[in-house]
Amino acid sequence: MPDRVGWLLDLYEDDREGVVLWLIGDDGERCRLRQDFPVTFYAAGDPEQLRALQSFLRAQPEKLRLYRAQRRDLFHDQPLTLLAVEMSAPICQPRLFKRIARRFPGLDYYDADLNITLRHAARWGTFPLARCYISADDEGTVRELRVLDSPWDLDPLGAPLRVLALKPDCDPAHAQPKVLIARHDGHKYRFSLQPERPLLINLRALLRRVDPDLLLTVSGDTWLLPLLLSLAKKHNLPLPLNREVGRGVLHKKAGTYFSYGQIIYRGQQILLYGRCHIDCRNAMMWQSYDLEGALESARVTALPIQIAARVSPGTGISSMQITTALRNDILVPWRKQQVERPKTALDLIRFDQGGLVYQPITGLHFDVGMIDFVSMYPSIMVRSNISPETPFPDRLGSSDHPPGLVPLTLKPLLEKRIALKQRALSLPKWDPRRRKDKARSSAHKWLLVTCFGYLGYKNARFGRIEAHEAVTTWGREALLRAKEAAEEMGFRVLHMYVDGLWVQKDGCREPDDFQPLLEEIAARTSLPISLDGVYRWVVFLPSRVDDRLPVPNRYFGVFQDGSVKARGIDLRRRDAAPFVADAQCEMLRCLARAQSPADLQRQVPEAVDILRRRLHALRTGRVPLEDLLVGKKLSKQLAGYRVPSPGARAVMQLQAAGKSVYPGQRVRLIFIRGGAGVHAWDLPYPPDPAAVDVDHYQELILRAAANLLQPFGLDEEALLIWVRADLGCQLRLPLRTWRRRRPPPVIHLDPALYPEPCCQ
Amino acid sequence: MGRTLPSITQAFIQEQEAFSRFRRALRRGDQLALDDLFASARQHLSAAAYAAHALPMETFLLSMLLEQHKEILRLRQQMAELTGDLDA
Repeated sequence: MPDRVGWLLDLYEDDREGVVLWLIGDDGERCRLRQDFPVTFYAAGDPEQLRALQSFLRAQPEKLRLYRAQRRDLFHDQPLTLLAVEMSAPICQPRLFKRIARRFPGLDYYDADLNITLRHAARWGTFPLARCYISADDEGTVRELRVLDSPWDLDPLGAPLRVLALKPDCDPAHAQPKVLIARHDGHKYRFSLQPERPLLINLRALLRRVDPDLLLTVSGDTWLLPLLLSLAKKHNLPLPLNREVGRGVLHKKAGTYFSYGQIIYRGQQILLYGRCHIDCRNAMMWQSYDLEGALESARVTALPIQIAARVSPGTGISSMQITTALRNDILVPWRKQQVERPKTALDLIRFDQGGLVYQPITGLHFDVGMIDFVSMYPSIMVRSNISPETPFPDRLGSSDHPPGLVPLTLKPLLEKRIALKQRALSLPKWDPRRRKDKARSSAHKWLLVTCFGYLGYKNARFGRIEAHEAVTTWGREALLRAKEAAEEMGFRVLHMYVDGLWVQKDGCREPDDFQPLLEEIAARTSLPISLDGVYRWVVFLPSRVDDRLPVPNRYFGVFQDGSVKARGIDLRRRDAAPFVADAQCEMLRCLARAQSPADLQRQVPEAVDILRRRLHALRTGRVPLEDLLVGKKLSKQLAGYRVPSPGARAVMQLQAAGKSVYPGQRVRLIFIRGGAGVHAWDLPYPPDPAAVDVDHYQELILRAAANLLQPFGLDEEALLIWVRADLGCQLRLPLRTWRRRRPPPVIHLDPALYPEPCCQ
Repeated sequence: MGRTLPSITQAFIQEQEAFSRFRRALRRGDQLALDDLFASARQHLSAAAYAAHALPMETFLLSMLLEQHKEILRLRQQMAELTGDLDA
């Protein structure tokens, strides 16, 4: 076989020995190669038990090599003496290890449950879609493998992936699809799902002709592929979904889990051998980073593409840490043994804290600079060398100790993200690289964010709560130093939020006006900092419950380039009906057209006009039902609800109709009058358009509008009067903030000020 | 989420609830004034969290005093401006 250069598409355990590699050659050929690749895992503990394990292993049918080894455990000062078990057939390793762990539960195991691609990445430097030079013999056994690029290249040579996209004509959870739509290279094919035999024959012909590298489906995990596989079995017409001949697909079960305060549901997964299958509905954060982001997260984490697309960023970052550990001969514990060291109550009070979150000065503010630290927590980990095994840093900035595991893992990722961000600033708006870079840097962002969380997660293999607390401690310190710098330079700090601050100063309007402050903060904290932008105006909203109370994360504003930023209001909420979110978005864009404070005042009647139009459409039944859909997440099992929420009531309807919903899944519903008050969208029969609860939707849209117009003295009641009386255009509004509407707190009470209630 | 200690907001709410019997026995007007005091302490929750005092109520009381003092300063300034206007 001639020497080849190409892209590494897939890598998995061979049926017999070693691993299988699929290469997309420069000549366009997809070629299957095999490589010898023995894997090793370790056991440590009581010598008596180790000897018993050794004789047990000698009696096993697998081909093994046993020897004594010394390796470093991150949490021990001295190297450990271990029993090493090397096997030439990686495919047998998980089964053998399961037997051992059950029989010898008292031993500690290392490197025992690692993904084969991570082991390969540590040994050979491979990663998905790496450019490789491979020399192999006539049977396709690899003699030499060299990786020609690195996951940290900013512009790697893109692999010519053949993508076949498959999707049903409607959402299978909502109705029975009739047609399967396939797209490849600009061509579109439609296959009727009935009759079944011709469907299978046509699909098989298409798969053979296109021979895709990537199968991109909608609902492929949960509906399409299981359906196709069962049809293929029924008609005895095998479908070449795998490239590898003679292997079944890999099923992974569905599950619900708890992560970052949210209940998340992940449907079952179907993974292929020799090509990749990604289900856009079942992929993590597909909305925020699509295929480009999924491929990037595969490249940097070295997890297979189809796994990287589905796993949480937490798994991604721990995979990167595992690869770093393997490369540095550090043991990867199977189950972590370390517990938190004892602390005094005072230590606990001082260190068990998160980032600094301030209460903003509520109201409308003009010419506000938004400054934030670039990837603050990862930067602190890298700069101050915070890792489970390194000593607690005594200052912000460089450390005297050799870099720990976590900084070693993060440094290249952080540098790549910063380089991509800097490039994005210099690229013109039309440049196609902008979109690509954005998707990639968003994939990096989530990996970096979760890396901090994993430091404090008790089950993380390389987690240690003290390291996690050290990061937040120095994060708070950095933010306070930034505040002090800003105030000393005459700025007013309106708000601070973990890694960013909003500042204002008379005469500071242009980005350059904030430059000296940025330099001062960078000098005081030694962390990278940037100006996110200058707001023409920004509004910090008070609490919905009590308008005396500021809340940290409810605000909206307009940058100088006219772009809008909003947090915590309906247009950002995932459960808001499109009708409400769109209306709020249109109103905000209308306000955003204002260039000056005076302009803003003039835009208000126009925004009210939008509200009036939308309300009229609602009242006259001209809003499509789809726009009224509200998506509610089921946070627990139905039995756990004492008073069923609208979402729970919709789930009850679905269950009565024979459809199951699991905690973490989103159920779409429409509010109707009478009965249960809701109608689940995925019920087999549609809701009656005449029954839509118009009053409820009116309340929702008025509340959303009031959020925006509150700073101009318009609350829900006032808006209703305005909209009804049709006076909007004639009124002139005073531009003021609502903070001044109520009298300031009084100390010596005048009884007349607070009237006594009439009945006591 | 995963905290050993209650957050500062939780601690604040606990302290406020500890005075619910006191509040209940106050006259309506006094109740409203007390609510104002607690609301003013809430302005400085983040500073109270950063302070990490073993007895957070002390920090909350100081926050109330702080807001009151600001108010006195504001009124004093207003007064000075008004008397200044009269003198002019």
